[in-house]
Order: sequence, then structure tokens, then C-alpha cells
Amino acid sequence: MTDDGVNQSRRKFLLGATSVVGGAGVVGAAIPFVSSWQPSAKAKAAGAPVKVNISKLEAGGRLVVEWRGKPVYIVRRTSESLDAINAIDTSILRDADSEAAAQPSYVSGSARTMAGKEEYLILVGLCTHLGCAPMYRPDVGAVDLGGDSWLGGFFCPCHGSKFDLSGRVFAGVPAPTNLEIPPHSYESDDVVIIGIDSEVA
Amino acid sequence: MSEYYAPKNFNFWYYFGVLSMVVLVIQLVTGIWLLMSYQGSAEQAFASVEYIMRDVDLGWIIRYAHSTGASAFFIVVYLHMFRGLMYGSYKAPRELVWIFGMTIYLALMAEAFLGYVLPWGQMSYWGAQVIISLFGAIPVVGEDIVQWIRGDYLISGITLNRFMSLHVVALPIILIALIVMHIIALHDVGSNNPDGVSIKEHKEKDGNPIDGLPFYPYFVIHDLVPIVVFLFVFCAVLFFMPEMGGFFLEYANFEIANSLKTPEHIAPVWYFTPYYSMLRAVPDKLGGFIIMGAAIAILFVLPWLDRSPVRSMRYKGNISRAALLIFAAVFIILGYLGVKAPTAGRTILAQICTVLYFSYFIGIYFWTKYETTRPEPARITMDGGIGPLKTLGAIGIVALLVVIPIKAVGAESSHACGTIDCEPFEAQLTNDASLQNGAKLAVNFCMGCHSFKYSRWERVANDIGIPNQLMLDNMVFTGQKIGELMDIAMPADSAKEWFGATPPDLTLVARSRKPEWVYTYLLHFYADPSRPLGVNNKVYKDVGMPHALLDLQGLPECAPGPVLAANGGIKRDLMTGEDILDDPCGNYNIIKAGTMNEEEYKAAVYDLVNFLTYVAEPMAEERKHIGRLVLLFLLLLLVPTVLLNREYWKGIH
Repeated sequence: MTDDGVNQSRRKFLLGATSVVGGAGVVGAAIPFVSSWQPSAKAKAAGAPVKVNISKLEAGGRLVVEWRGKPVYIVRRTSESLDAINAIDTSILRDADSEAAAQPSYVSGSARTMAGKEEYLILVGLCTHLGCAPMYRPDVGAVDLGGDSWLGGFFCPCHGSKFDLSGRVFAGVPAPTNLEIPPHSYESDDVVIIGIDSEVA
Repeated sequence: MSEYYAPKNFNFWYYFGVLSMVVLVIQLVTGIWLLMSYQGSAEQAFASVEYIMRDVDLGWIIRYAHSTGASAFFIVVYLHMFRGLMYGSYKAPRELVWIFGMTIYLALMAEAFLGYVLPWGQMSYWGAQVIISLFGAIPVVGEDIVQWIRGDYLISGITLNRFMSLHVVALPIILIALIVMHIIALHDVGSNNPDGVSIKEHKEKDGNPIDGLPFYPYFVIHDLVPIVVFLFVFCAVLFFMPEMGGFFLEYANFEIANSLKTPEHIAPVWYFTPYYSMLRAVPDKLGGFIIMGAAIAILFVLPWLDRSPVRSMRYKGNISRAALLIFAAVFIILGYLGVKAPTAGRTILAQICTVLYFSYFIGIYFWTKYETTRPEPARITMDGGIGPLKTLGAIGIVALLVVIPIKAVGAESSHACGTIDCEPFEAQLTNDASLQNGAKLAVNFCMGCHSFKYSRWERVANDIGIPNQLMLDNMVFTGQKIGELMDIAMPADSAKEWFGATPPDLTLVARSRKPEWVYTYLLHFYADPSRPLGVNNKVYKDVGMPHALLDLQGLPECAPGPVLAANGGIKRDLMTGEDILDDPCGNYNIIKAGTMNEEEYKAAVYDLVNFLTYVAEPMAEERKHIGRLVLLFLLLLLVPTVLLNREYWKGIH
């Protein structure tokens, strides 16, 4: 009953071994509890990719589709708008080259689309500031948005952030980055799938 | 904990207290997680449980752990209580410990009952119906109480909601509070031990008992071994037989609650059945209720019924020893009878056992006073008791006492598949070709009327190896998306009008009915012009379903066939040795040919039922796979645990 003759190092070793294996067991037992918090099959089904037929979209028009509970804007830009995007004074934009923007690697340029698809702007319609849905304001020269300098774009009514028709954020507004571009791919010229990445060429 | 000194002669029977704590933790943690996905409404409860089982990542482990834990709780608590009976742990000065313990038992029964209602299956519903109706036996106010408990004129979503609140919030709080008091009361008087003698009389100079050891580290380490062994058994059940042959999860509970249809045989879960048997044994509603209540209540006063001068069975007389074994056997017999349908013989046995049950408590008042006891030692012994061999012998005696009376009243149940015996069926859940063919048949021949609305197309496609696009093109006819549930377009109301009953959902039919039942059912349609649909079924007499596979099988008509002789073989003519064809429907003639011959048809039905078996529990193979890894790990964990225990306890004699 006294500590005489007790092999302390053996005890220590066995305590350590039991703790390590037992600890691994606790970690293993935690796996179901952790993974059950992942999106379930139901959530995944609800967040499944969305197919959109864009053949009926007129130039200058906009479609709003829901993907994973978020509004996705599909804007068919006119050739004037595309010219305006290219010609815009980049000094009024915070990130003209979309370097900090959340966008897939297969979109590029000031149009922020895949090569050859410049006409169709596809972006998540949530302001990068605090998540309001910006309004689509294609009306060039709108007085309330700065008159002649407004070449069309998106305006967030919550805190006044402005974006051009490529979803690029203006300098001097609260929103920090350009509007997000969701993963998407074209099944055909008329059908775009939101939620599935294009294969990078 | 290092301040608490427990007797060092604790044996096997002293593990079940700590094990019940382990189960409590399992139940609390899994319960919290289940509630994250469970929905307590009559419309959603059943579906949400299947959602946890199928759609939530590894949700099935959490659910099976909770359902296995419920039964495990009672197993360890019953053994814990038996330990108390055996070593007189209820006797002075530990009456309060016993009272708290019994209150825990009562709360636990309430908790288990309320929890069983939540999955909202047929057994949930009808079990609740029976238990709540018990209160109707109370004179005058009974029916009002019943209605007040339900909060409705039948058991409904309103009842379900309040039961959920009690199960999830109120009773766990009460349980934990009671457990704390149980332990505080225990620590105040000190643990009993197999010898039943106090360790407080003999102390070291420092005031600690000579025969005690500090709880930490000695008993903490000592308990690790049984905990690992327990977890091994627990996981073996969880991963390899979560239904435990219908005892832990009753088959009928895989069918959604239906207030208009009682299952053929309803029985409470096994841990209630001893009392349920007593209830049924009394041919009077109020009398049965009183007997059942008294059977539990009498346990509370046990400390004052036992007048023996000694505590432990080691020093009690032979009457006490024999009585305890008989009592244990009686309790098990009552439990067994409670899960079985009552017959005349069984009812008599239940009545005898009920009398014996109460005789134990009444008799103990007398024989403990007058029987001769053996002398108690002054200090605890390390080699007392009857040893492992005699213990096994005692267990053998109990087993005999249980088996013999049960055999004596054995009643052979009716056929497992309606009017005939089931055809043998062995599922092959890794046979993708069979499952794919079965899925094809299910979609083409079943899903016109039946839904599989707890299962998702995508899961089925991925599990049995059908490419998603192929599935969408060839199997999904209603324009659903791949991730959606396999629901059908037929509205339930008009279905009811057409067939007289809504065709049931088939997702779980192989679990609620058993695969061999479904297999036999699909093989035994026959022409019967007296039925509205022209066919009848030997397994499900007068079924409202048409012979959906008619095009494949053709139309079978009854033909005389052999009958079974009393010895189980086929009855043959003694003279000629030929089969006697006494059964007017023992064989079939196909009167209108189908596209398949008999063999092909059987193979097709096999594939179909194989698929139904898969879809009833799609994670079955994964479950066994994970189970093997878990059991292997626990064996590994057992090694250092055993060595550690031996190291700490080797110097203790």
C-alpha cells in the first residue's frame, strides 16, 4: 500500500500509452458528430447546380436565378456597355483587374467572363460589403448615381456601394471587393449551368 | 475523488454503476445531436428520423448509438440493481442511496417511454396508446387524465410535442439531479462491498480505512477495463445488429404511425415487459394497473422489508440465496412473456410469476428474520464469494429456471408469412447487378403507385453504381432532379379511392416486414375471381394490391399441392410413397403465360427484394465496415488498459 517498489516509469509509460490510444479513440468518436454538421444530402440537393436557358434574354436585360439560396444575376450586356466597360476610367475603380475578387480562374479581363462569352455577365447578386442585393441600374447618366459619369452598373441601396457593369467596385464606397462570380459553365450556347465549374482549358 | 475511499474488494458486479454513467454520457451527447436534425411534428417526425439515418453525414451512427444506448442503459441498471439485491446495498445505512437509485430508475423508465414515442412509428404510437390508456383505469377521473395527458382526443402531434419537451429537457434535468444526489448520498455513507461489512472500523494512523483505496487513481483505472469491454459490446450491437433481433428497435416501428391500424402484435420494448406481463396477468383493468404500480413501488420499501442482521448474500442463509435466484428467473420470465403474444398457458405462467415476484418481497420480511446466517468476518475478504465456477453454476440454475417453464407453455406461433411459411431469402447487398435490376423493376412496376420518399435518387444511383445521367434518363420519369427524394406523383387521397387503401411507402418495407416476407409475398399471388382485382395472396390475405408483376409471371391459379405432416416433412401416402395433395392451393398452374418462366420470375423477384433490402438500410455495408474498424481499435485500446490496471493493482491484496 505504500509507494515502495512501485515501478514509476512503467506506470508513466502505461498511463501515457493508454492516454494516447484513448485520446485517438475520442477523436475517432468525434468524427460522426463533426461530420453530421456538414451540409446534408437534403441541403446538397437544394444547393444543386441550376440550369438556365439564356436564349430569351434580351440585350440589356437581366435574369435573376436562385442558386444555393443566393440571387445570381445574369446580364446580357449591349455592345455599348461592353465598350463602356473597356473605356471606363480605371482610376474610379478599386480593383479594375479583379485581382482581389472572388472569381473562378476561367474568367478574365475587364468583362469578367469566359473568353468568347463576354456578352453574358454572371455574378452573385450580393454586395461584398454586408450582403444586400445591389440594384441593376443600366441607365447611363442616372442623376442620382453621379450623372454623366455613371455608365451603368449596380448600386447597393443599403450603404451606397457602386459597381460597374462587370461588377467591379468603385473606389471610395464601403464594399471592399468586386462582386463575386459563381462557378458556371456552358452546356450549350443557350444553356448555362450555375454551380459547376468550366473545365479550365 | 482522491478523497473518497472505496473498499478494495470490489468485484465484477461493481462495474455497472460507472457503466451507467458512461451510457448516460452517450445518451446525452447523441441526444443533443439528434435534436439538431429531428423535427417533433406528426407530419415530419418519422421522415426526420429517416433523414438523420440517410441524409445527415454519419447520422445513422448517432441514431443507432442513441437507440442502442437506451437498451444498454437498462441492461446496466438492472445488473446494478441486482448487485444491490445480492450484497444488501439497500440496507441501513444506505436506504437513502437506494431510494434515490429507485427514483432514478423510475425517471429512466419515463424518459425511455417518452423517447420511444418520438420516432413516430407504429410501435411509438400504439405503445403510447397503451401506456397512456393505463391511466384510464383510475376510477372516476381516469378518462379525463388520459385526455389531459394527450392534449387531444387521440395521440397526435400535440402529444408528440409535449413528450419531446419532457424527453429532451425536463427528464434529463431531473435524471442528472437525481444521479448527483445518488452519488452524494453514497459518498456520505460510503460504498458497500461484496462482504457487506463496513471498512470504517479499521483505520490507518492517517484516518483512512485500511481496507479502502482512494477512488483516484485506483478505481478510475480499475474501471477503464470494463468500460472498454462494455464499449466493445456496445459497438458490436451498434454496428452489426442495431435492431438486436427486434428487441432494441422493433420492426413495426419502421412503419409510420397510423391511428387507424394496430400492428398485429404490439409489445413494449423489452425493458418494460416484466411489468407489462404483470399488467396482462391480471384479468381486470384497474387491478392490472395497481399490480403493475405496486411491483415498482414495493422496490422502494425493500430496505425496511429485509430484517437480516447481515447484508451480503455471502453470509445470508440458504433461503435468501435460493429466493434471489428464483426472483431473478421470475423477472426474466416475466420479461420474456411480455414480448410474446398472450396464450392461455403463458397467462397462467405470468400469473404464477407475478405471485412469486411479490412473494419475494413479502417473504423476505420473514425469512431474513428467522433463517440462520453465517458469521460475518470482522474485515473484508479478498477471496470471499463463491468463485467464478459456482457463479456460472448459479447463472446456469437461473437459466434453467427460466427456460423450463417457458418451454412448458411454449406455443407455436402462426406462420411467419401469413398462411404459409416464409421462403428463404438471403440478401446480397454488394451484388450491384442484382441491385440495379431490382431498382429497374422497382421503378417500373412499383413506383406507379408506391413512393420511396425517404430515399434520394442520387444516393441510390451512387450506391449501386448507376451513372447519374443514366438514372435520370431511364428511371426518373417525373422530371425530378437527381438529388430529390424518390416520391411519386399519385396523390394519396385518390390512391385511397382507387385501391381502398393508400399504397404504402416502400422505402422501409423490407425493415418493417422483413425481406423474406416481401419475397414470399411477391411469389404467392394467385387468381381469385371473388376479389375485386381478380387476385389474392397467400401471405397477405385479401390484399388490396393488384398483381403488379402479372406481365412477368403470368397468372397463377391454385392447384392441389402437398401438405406438411405433423413431423414437419411432406405428408406422403404410406402405400405408394407419393405426396398427398390435400392442400387445395399447394401448387400453382400458370393459366395465362407471362414473359418469364418460373425460374426467371423468381430471379427477378429476388433482385427486386434485394433492392428493397438495400434501400431500407442503404448504409448497411458501410455500417459493418466501420464496425470492424471500431472493434479492432477497441481491442487495441484494451491492451494498455489491462496492463495499466494490472500495474496499479498488482500490489494490492
